[in-house]
Amino acid sequence: MEADERRNGDSTNHNHRAPKKPRLAGLITESDIQSEFAHHQTGIARINNGSFGCCPGSVLEAQREWQLRYLRQPDDFYFNGLRRGLLASRTVISDLINADHVDEVSLVDNATTAAAIVLQKVGRGFSQGKYKKEDTVVMFHCAFQSVKKSIQAYVSRVGGSTVEVRLPFPVNSNEEIISVFREGLEKGRANGRTIRLAIIDHITSMPCVLMPVRELVKICREEGVEQVFVDAAHAIGSVKVDVKEIGADYYVSNLHKWFFCPPSIAFFYCKKRSSDSDVHHPVVSHEFGNGLPIESAWIGTRDYSSQLVVPSVMDFVNRFEGGIEGIMIRNHDEAVRMGLMLANSWGTNLGSPPDMCVGMVMIGLPSKLCVESDEDATKLRSYLRVHYSVEVPVYFLGLRDGEEGVKDKESGLITAYVRISHQVYNKTEDYERLRDAITELVKDQITCQNLPSV
Amino acid sequence: MASLSPPEEATYHHRHSKRYSSSSSSSSVTASNGIESVSDFVKRPKISPPSYISYSEIESEFSHHDPDFARINNGSFGCCPSSILARQRDWQLQFLRQPDRFFLEELKPKISESRSVIKLLINAEHDDEVSIVDNATTAAAIVLQQTAWAFREGRFDKGDAVVMLHYAFGSVKKSVEAYVTRSGGHVIEVQLPFPVNSADEIIDKFKIGLESGKANGRRVRLALIDHVTSMPSVVIPIKELVKICRSEGVDQVFVDAAHGIGCVDVDMKEIGADFYTSNLHKWFFAPPSVAFLYCRRSSNGGSRDLHHPVVSNEYGNGLAVESSWVGTRDYSAQLVVPSILEFVNRFEGGIDGIKKRNHESVVEMGQMLVKSWGTQLGCPPEMCASMIMVGLPVCLGVSSDSDILKLRKFLRERFSIEIPIYFRPPADGEIDPITGYVRISFQVYNKPEEYHRLRDAINGLVRDGFRCTSLSS
Repeated sequence: MEADERRNGDSTNHNHRAPKKPRLAGLITESDIQSEFAHHQTGIARINNGSFGCCPGSVLEAQREWQLRYLRQPDDFYFNGLRRGLLASRTVISDLINADHVDEVSLVDNATTAAAIVLQKVGRGFSQGKYKKEDTVVMFHCAFQSVKKSIQAYVSRVGGSTVEVRLPFPVNSNEEIISVFREGLEKGRANGRTIRLAIIDHITSMPCVLMPVRELVKICREEGVEQVFVDAAHAIGSVKVDVKEIGADYYVSNLHKWFFCPPSIAFFYCKKRSSDSDVHHPVVSHEFGNGLPIESAWIGTRDYSSQLVVPSVMDFVNRFEGGIEGIMIRNHDEAVRMGLMLANSWGTNLGSPPDMCVGMVMIGLPSKLCVESDEDATKLRSYLRVHYSVEVPVYFLGLRDGEEGVKDKESGLITAYVRISHQVYNKTEDYERLRDAITELVKDQITCQNLPSV
Repeated sequence: MASLSPPEEATYHHRHSKRYSSSSSSSSVTASNGIESVSDFVKRPKISPPSYISYSEIESEFSHHDPDFARINNGSFGCCPSSILARQRDWQLQFLRQPDRFFLEELKPKISESRSVIKLLINAEHDDEVSIVDNATTAAAIVLQQTAWAFREGRFDKGDAVVMLHYAFGSVKKSVEAYVTRSGGHVIEVQLPFPVNSADEIIDKFKIGLESGKANGRRVRLALIDHVTSMPSVVIPIKELVKICRSEGVDQVFVDAAHGIGCVDVDMKEIGADFYTSNLHKWFFAPPSVAFLYCRRSSNGGSRDLHHPVVSNEYGNGLAVESSWVGTRDYSAQLVVPSILEFVNRFEGGIDGIKKRNHESVVEMGQMLVKSWGTQLGCPPEMCASMIMVGLPVCLGVSSDSDILKLRKFLRERFSIEIPIYFRPPADGEIDPITGYVRISFQVYNKPEEYHRLRDAINGLVRDGFRCTSLSS
């Protein structure tokens, strides 16, 4: 009977399995989603997808299958399975991001690794005398800390200088960002220096803002910046990524943040340039010199399974209406809606207008909490985790001299923001819990100074 | 399917059976095969005997291995018992459950715990000396990067030498090219004889290599020595070589012991190297992948110029801390190390007992194959650990690297045997030398039948007049 069903496409025996539903009606349901994320700890408001992402049960299952294939017969897998599997993942990504050729796409662990690759290359330029001492690397002051350290390790160490552009925050328009960036480029070129690299975040981490990356890259080209590296750790699954349109030389994004992959996997795009093959993975294997995608596909014996599940992730996202685009739009809309709800409730503000947010939004905290330092922000975050079961990062905004800052409805200065994330597993109650927690702290006149230690 | 003759089989299983009952014929065992002597057994307090892991438990621990295969190549990718895989999954789930909390509260202390276990296992002085990385390949990049900086920043003169063995692992050679050659260092490869007959042959060649490194007033800045070479596989007299390096004024010694822990004795103080790395997923039952890099404190003194090449916000906090955070990743393989200790202690003699029995078994299997094929071992038994090189019959006509790749594939596809093969080019003047050697490994899950399958497959090919040239590319 089963064979007949398959041939005819439907069942003539109604006692057996129900006929297959047509594709459209087979969309993932709310309870499917809950089940996919059943491994998340219950009872906490997990509104920080931006930091560590998430991975649905069906993708974890696919990962386990890959792991078992390897463990079953690792030699065979190494010789006959691994590279094909990695190529399949790379091909999916290459199509998604509109790269010209799959050769432009390498898989690495995370954006941190990609930064090391780019900065090692820039460092060699200085060491080998191709760049003058004091030639510059330009970046935003809120660039991820690991990237800054990487610059120190590979560029500053060999005589390169850096220019940090201060991101205006809270920010009201793309123009504000573009204008300070132009100033930063001016500084980078002062005294006859050449800007060897500009590092631009597609979506900054803390504070979180969607940057006008296409315009910034264009300006770089106009102003003679040699290479542009876009650190888009948060981008894929958050915002549309078209690497040709963006036009950068290097572009990296983590797939374990917003693209439902298990930890960890990132794609690293390197625009094909005939002159340029001096990008290498810092962990050198026998594949050294065979091109970065091949070098990255073998950096010694490791578990590559998280890099092999990308096709399974496509299956997952395509169960949602509109696929990944639908997910991105809904995440954005919900994050903004929740952000506005919080801002209204607390009498504060959003850190950027809705069109400069993705599935993450910065919301000002009431001034009455008196967040006066990074340590205060950390203390508050821990307190929210332990006493209210809310997981949300807190950002301390240190104002500089001359900056006016923004005031809340109590006319107090807003010195801190929370960054909420919205992913498919989130519910309104998660954000209401945060809302009520903060409201209660304010009502009880708790400040960061008198916050009980956790 | 009794493949050993009855006396052989009894000895084999007796050696490896782990249940002791008071009625066991302890009078028939001797101390020399690793089992307690009668007097020791008798001296033991008369309580219930320890229940070591049984053979069927071992089978069950490795039931995820492909049952069709003669998996006699533990050396390449190692193995991981299912109880450790289960522990690893627990850790993965803990992260997935609440990653922020896990990262902020659990990860670093748990990695420290793993490092402490390793420090004790390898007899290092301080926890600080032990960093956990993915694999020996990563460790090589770390050490060689520091050498490269010294060349670039003028602390070493251009042309100063790095000495390594000709049989160094392919990835390590490339790393030397990428980091040392590119920054101005001069690389010397020491040719070692193979087959080899004694440790002295290796020591002599190494001394010659060091001499040439020092020629023309150069300094030898780094000696990169394998503890157990990969292909062909031989245990190198590492203690002696380190001593020679010291007396010849070599700046730093880096021992690549990918096949170290769980395979050979790994005692940092005894070996005396500056850097020592070993994979735990090869012979120490860890899941892929985890390795340690030991960096002797005293030799680095004030200049902590060792850095993980993937730079994170931990940069500058010491290699161990840098390595414990290289961005968001799955660190679960690094967290199961304490659980592995529990696993190996279910075996008699713990990891030392396992090493000893693996060695004895691989030698026994190697000699069995040599006898059957009429060939020879690649080195004397005392120069191997849990892997041994066994010559293939000359009539198979192995004559190139491509031959051995094809033959390996053929053995895998036709006979379901997984075995790496080494092509040993004939030397001048040799008549009908053995040009192909298989590298057999022995780990706790292996059985004699697997080696018999290899024996019979090769004998069958010989009988059929098989030549490697008949294999298509």
